[in-house]
Amino acid sequence: MKTDFDVIIIGGGVVGSAVARELSRYKLGIAVLEKELDVVNGTSGHNTGLLHSGALYEKNSLKMICSMEGNADFDRVAEELDVPFKRCGKLVVGFGDEERERLEKLYQKGLDNGVPGLRMIDHAELKSIEPSADGDFALVVPTAGILCPFTYTIALAENAAMNGAKYFFDHAATGIDRTGDHYTVHTAKGDFTGRWVINCAGLFAYQVSKWLGFGAYEPARVKGEYIILDKRVGKHLIRPVYPTPNIYGDFDVHVTPTIDGNVLVGPTIENIGDKIDYSATQDMIDVLARDGLKMFDYVKREHYIRNYAGVFPTVKNEKGEVEPDFCIQTREDIPNAVNLVGINSPGLTSSLPIARRVVEKIKAQEKLIPNESFDPVRRGIERFAEKSKAEQAELIASDADYGEIFCRCECVTKAEIKKAAHNILGVSTVTGIKYRTRATMGRCQGGYCQTRIAALLQQELGQKKNEIRLKTTGGYMFTGDVK
Amino acid sequence: MKSKTLTCIICPNGCTIDVKAHDNGDIEVSGNKCPRGKEYAVQELFDPRRTISSTVRIEGAMLPLCSVRLDRPVPKKEIFAVMEEINKVSIKAPSHIGDVVIENVCGLGANVIVTKNLDKI
Amino acid sequence: MRTHDAVIIGGGPAGLAAAVQLKKNGIDDILIIEREKHLGGILRQCIHDGFGLTRFGVTLSGPEYSQRFIDMANELGVSTVTNATVIDLNGDRVITAATQQGLLQVQGKAVILTMGCRERTRGALAIPGTRPAGVFNAGVTQSYVNLYNTMVGKEVLIMGSGDIGLIMARRLTLEGAKVKGVFEIMPYPSGLPRNIEQCLNDYDIPLYLSHSVVEIKGQERIEGVRVVQVDESFRPIEGTEKYFSCDTLVLSVGLIPENELSLAAGVELDWRTNGAVVDEFYQSNVPGIFAAGNVLHVHDLVDFVSKEAEAMAEGVAEYLKNGALPECGLEIKAGNDIGHLIPQRVSGKRDFKLSLRVRKPWGKCCLEVRQGETVLKSLKLAKAIPAEMIELVIPAEKMNSVEDLEVRVYEI
Repeated sequence: MKTDFDVIIIGGGVVGSAVARELSRYKLGIAVLEKELDVVNGTSGHNTGLLHSGALYEKNSLKMICSMEGNADFDRVAEELDVPFKRCGKLVVGFGDEERERLEKLYQKGLDNGVPGLRMIDHAELKSIEPSADGDFALVVPTAGILCPFTYTIALAENAAMNGAKYFFDHAATGIDRTGDHYTVHTAKGDFTGRWVINCAGLFAYQVSKWLGFGAYEPARVKGEYIILDKRVGKHLIRPVYPTPNIYGDFDVHVTPTIDGNVLVGPTIENIGDKIDYSATQDMIDVLARDGLKMFDYVKREHYIRNYAGVFPTVKNEKGEVEPDFCIQTREDIPNAVNLVGINSPGLTSSLPIARRVVEKIKAQEKLIPNESFDPVRRGIERFAEKSKAEQAELIASDADYGEIFCRCECVTKAEIKKAAHNILGVSTVTGIKYRTRATMGRCQGGYCQTRIAALLQQELGQKKNEIRLKTTGGYMFTGDVK
Repeated sequence: MKSKTLTCIICPNGCTIDVKAHDNGDIEVSGNKCPRGKEYAVQELFDPRRTISSTVRIEGAMLPLCSVRLDRPVPKKEIFAVMEEINKVSIKAPSHIGDVVIENVCGLGANVIVTKNLDKI
Repeated sequence: MRTHDAVIIGGGPAGLAAAVQLKKNGIDDILIIEREKHLGGILRQCIHDGFGLTRFGVTLSGPEYSQRFIDMANELGVSTVTNATVIDLNGDRVITAATQQGLLQVQGKAVILTMGCRERTRGALAIPGTRPAGVFNAGVTQSYVNLYNTMVGKEVLIMGSGDIGLIMARRLTLEGAKVKGVFEIMPYPSGLPRNIEQCLNDYDIPLYLSHSVVEIKGQERIEGVRVVQVDESFRPIEGTEKYFSCDTLVLSVGLIPENELSLAAGVELDWRTNGAVVDEFYQSNVPGIFAAGNVLHVHDLVDFVSKEAEAMAEGVAEYLKNGALPECGLEIKAGNDIGHLIPQRVSGKRDFKLSLRVRKPWGKCCLEVRQGETVLKSLKLAKAIPAEMIELVIPAEKMNSVEDLEVRVYEI
């Protein structure tokens, strides 16, 4: 196995994969070291899937600049990478004078940042455009949108891989040394050497930052819990509805339609310091139920299909303050290293703009030769459920496996699951199939299709029963044969 | 006197039955809605028996396992001995309901029979 | 487009019984559409015995029970399409199914919904904790163990005392796993008494009533659960919390009729059953669309599923012969202590069978069906529990066709 590269990217989430993709435009040997078994198992797969407008952030901060750039660019990106995306806009609703004052401030900030199309509307107009929302008034943010965070991250990674980047899963970096003109990145599965190291380690970026010799950041992670609602109620929510920011400037529980027609309730906000904790708690489930109902009438138990938590890689800087902005750092005394720290929200929206800035940092040091065979276009698996009946008939004619429904709830066919099992990144977990096809994401949560997926993984990839993984290396699904 | 209060497992009614065996040989049964309950209760008092269901490996069928059951109850304490015998068996497709897989399993007078038709593929 | 007199969606016990009964009523042009490779539905994985005592007078395993209906259907020449998943149904009774040969579109003069049910999941209950591997629904476990020769774990806990969970406690024990306990949040089991006896007591598996699983622990594979005892209002009782280690958690926390197609066709659902609102002929609000079995309301016994489907088939046959059925304008209202009932609407002109469940366990009690001041039927019971469906025939003789009906239960 080749372990000598031009660039080693530590972390294959949405930022690491965007960096890999942007760097694959050049003739470079690129390795992406990912500690998990897939690219969406960390923060990139546990967020709201919102395309932010940039209205919220300090003027001229990297968060403002990158999110606005990413937002403006996203129609093209979604087209190029075949990512489901809808520029549905977003509403921030409020009641009473005090909230109006706070919301006006946000409105002014957005105007000042140059966010296009912002306007305040009254109760009547709110009701006319979003009947299930309520408020005395609302701010309309028309440039905001929703996208599938799984597909986007996977698309970036697949496009990078198509263009030559190599992904190494289950490869957690355990340390970095610099010898002569190259870095050695240690992993439990062997050393990797590279001329450049890019820290895209998300929740662990503070650690990589220390290894490289950049600032001594400390984790000050923020956990957010969510509840997912059944598609049955998705039709009642056209766009995300947020409450007016609270007195600390944070958004309390809000509701967001997903690109696939579900509704997300959340997140809650909880500071968890140096922990990584994806567990759902009764307290927060209760908060989501109570506060979610204020935003959307259908936040009721009978519509719950799943809950989850995300952990955001917030850090404290050397002064002990929460780092407010993205950090994209290089230092003369640490050659050939780009350090990305504090990449939390709006990291999904900003991932490609961040990646382009990383490329510029490298370009400032060395001349990059374009990769003439670079292809920016990536096509996803054709989704049976999204086609007209005539197109469905054509798909089945082209591949009979499109005529076998594996996942009833999401109408996912065997053909899609087979293609997902043979993905270019080599991800082979049950959850990997889910993120690539939506199988098991419906209301029965795999009750019908999970057994079939397990059987298919055995057939297509030759996995033994005790080798089938739900999501992680230690997450075995089965102990073996019954007899 | 020997007595027991038990839940009848013969049918979904799940009657709560009291059964008493007096020293003079008289047997009193109450709480049962049907004669089968009485029979079960008496059996249960002196010699509890169960039928069990499981599977055996099958070769050449669409499924890797074929379901089987006992055709009559065996003493409760023999259940795991019977399971051990069932686990040793592998059959070849096709299978037919009623095929005897193990005759007189563990010498208990019950047969292990197939309960699913599986074609040869 | 092909048309048939009756198109049956789902070839499980309800669909098969409906097909056989329609044939017996002289309705010949029938098509069953089944998504699996074989007929039989969920019974294929229910390899335990105890089926058929009511319907056939003998005790059979699930596959044997379904084979009897498959054989009858074959003898009567019922047409079936297998490996075909219905993906759309509209109010004009046009069905679209995906098959490996292409999209199948058929219209039924009558369409019969017999899609069965699905399991309530961890997500629907919002059980706190992590999301490790090793958490399975009971029916999924049954499919892995009984059909796919796949063992799910070695040290098992079961949440919920539904019948499938109890059955799987015994199955997993017989196949070598250690089942350490069953936790039920209610003060009484939700499965049948005989299953408590022969699946738990026989194997010394403890049943913890009034116990709730409050957290799932484990990062990659489940490592254990936190369990707490609850009071009558399901509030945790302080000081009762316990930790149980396990490598597998099996959930048996209820079944929900699978009605996505029904909704697509505009069928009105009952919030109590999660199935269609039907009249005494098992016809939904959409003319020509009928439902029976677990898609209509969850049954505890397949024998009742078959019988219900057979009764429905009589209505379908009448509908097909006459082009319409008598109007059913009277509502049957469920009193507070009635969990749910079927049918929800009747004509008031004919005898009909009422199926219901009580909401909580009762000792000696009386079920009463009234129409205004008139008691149409009263049935004294030694006990009534939510796990058992109760059926009673309501005679037409005292009924009028004007007033709604009401069902209640009271202590005696």
